[in-house]
Amino acid sequence: MTKRLSLTPYLFLTPALLGIAVFVLYPMAAVVYYSFTDYNIITPPTWVGLKNYEHLFRDTVFVKALSHSLIYLLVTPILIVLSILLAIIVNRPLRGIHFFRALYYLPVVSGTVAVGLAWSLVLNTNGLLNALLQTLGMIKEPVQWLADPSLTLMFCMMLTVWTGVGFYMMIFLAGLQNIPEELYDAAMIDGCNNLQKHWYISVPGLRPQITFVAVISSLAALNVFSEPFILFGPNGGILDSGTTVVLYLWRVAFRLNHAGYASAVAMGLLVITLGFSILQIRLIERGTEAN
Amino acid sequence: MAQVITRTHAPLDVRSRAIRTWKVIENLFWYIVLIGVAIVAAFPFIWVLAMSFKGPADPVVSVPPQFIPQHPTFENYVRVWKLLPMASFFMNSIVATASNVILNVTVAALAAYPFAKMKFPGRDAIFYFLLATLIVPMALAAIPSFILAVKVFHYRDQLISLVLPNMVSVFNIFLLRQAFKAVPNDLIDAAKMDGAGEFRIWWSVLVPIVRPSLAAAAINQFVFMWNEFFWAQLMLPTMTNRTLPVGLLALQSGFVSDSRGMAAGVVITVVPIIIFFALLQRQFTQGLSGAVKG
Repeated sequence: MTKRLSLTPYLFLTPALLGIAVFVLYPMAAVVYYSFTDYNIITPPTWVGLKNYEHLFRDTVFVKALSHSLIYLLVTPILIVLSILLAIIVNRPLRGIHFFRALYYLPVVSGTVAVGLAWSLVLNTNGLLNALLQTLGMIKEPVQWLADPSLTLMFCMMLTVWTGVGFYMMIFLAGLQNIPEELYDAAMIDGCNNLQKHWYISVPGLRPQITFVAVISSLAALNVFSEPFILFGPNGGILDSGTTVVLYLWRVAFRLNHAGYASAVAMGLLVITLGFSILQIRLIERGTEAN
Repeated sequence: MAQVITRTHAPLDVRSRAIRTWKVIENLFWYIVLIGVAIVAAFPFIWVLAMSFKGPADPVVSVPPQFIPQHPTFENYVRVWKLLPMASFFMNSIVATASNVILNVTVAALAAYPFAKMKFPGRDAIFYFLLATLIVPMALAAIPSFILAVKVFHYRDQLISLVLPNMVSVFNIFLLRQAFKAVPNDLIDAAKMDGAGEFRIWWSVLVPIVRPSLAAAAINQFVFMWNEFFWAQLMLPTMTNRTLPVGLLALQSGFVSDSRGMAAGVVITVVPIIIFFALLQRQFTQGLSGAVKG
């Protein structure tokens, strides 16, 4: 390695840094500026100071959307538990296990839009769910599942879990395959049964993957958009029961053309995300110290 | 150990048979679990597939639900194919995804090399800065990026509007940095002795060695881009310019009361990706393994 300052490493980094500068850094700076303006995208922005932020705290739809995005974080523990269980199941050396792994991964590659439309055909008033429940005699008349505001968010979360679990399962499967077999043998000798061996060996062994999945799935949960958009449309269902922060931002910016106010909504989302990430990093650090 | 050897053969034989039957029962149990999960995972798709072949005389829904159509027909597929430019959706998705994957993996592989193998001022600072951008919500950039697309780049309604903004994946840079780190320094030094420049080393030594990780990065990006919806529906208003996820949305508005047509549209979209996935199954499922190591 030469001592003099070489330009070479920076040349290798140029395309990536240029991309980040144009598509991440500039937009971040711009959104901060727009959030202090009145801007409809067509005419130039006009400075309004803190007006957008004052409005933000009194905006009941924003508060509602925010609470929905926070409730949405419930998918993270559900995803972690389900995908670890699935990973343990598909980690068995059974004939044809590759087929099952691929099958469970299918919703991931099919994409949220296709999967969401498929689910809407199941949940429709004249969909499969009503037919099954009527067959079992659990309901007499078809229920309008998608029109019930108290279920809106739950259906969105179910869709997220359903499309996500195969992806996270693969991450945990890779983690399980890195755990040395001897550890399980030792646990068996120490008198662990099959369940205990997973609790004492697999779960601690998967710590890096659990951290990773917790971080990415909760960031995704805070940014949820496609699920309510596809199942319930741009208005997020009846009485905004499925409106998340990003869906609201989309509507304000691109339907109502209030790009300035939508930028303030975006800043709100950024603050929540940052706060949540710091909290999570603290918790993870404390967890590793305890180990 | 010694105890086992001194045992007579007969009871051992009986025991091993018992173990074998137990094994068979255990495996059977796991197959039932696996198939049960498979049914849960696949049943909306099975329903959609059944629906897509239902003729006008078959009820959309009945009690009990009918999975096998009495009057099967391809009519639904023909109707969807005629009403929506499905072929354009496919072409657009293929072109946008393929060019983005190539660009994205090249950019990531270039950036990963200095992070893995060079010492230079600001290396760690730049790396952690890149990692920090992972936290930035994608929706945050949407408004200014939209304005850039309309007022500066003038590429709204063109496929390049999907390709460029997604050119950098910090996750892939991270993944390839790990892969480059694992390459022995001796190889690089030997190439240097032979007079190869850094770019030459990158292209002829490192890139061929980390090919499995490049495949993993490509597949990560493929899955992301193929299903990208939020940005694509902002950028592609014209029907014939749409990618599949955005195009599919037209099904929802155009086929509101036509469950059979909507089902056919979903099947048309999903089947090619399932075939592609089946062919590359190993690469898809193993690609993730390299990403998160302890």
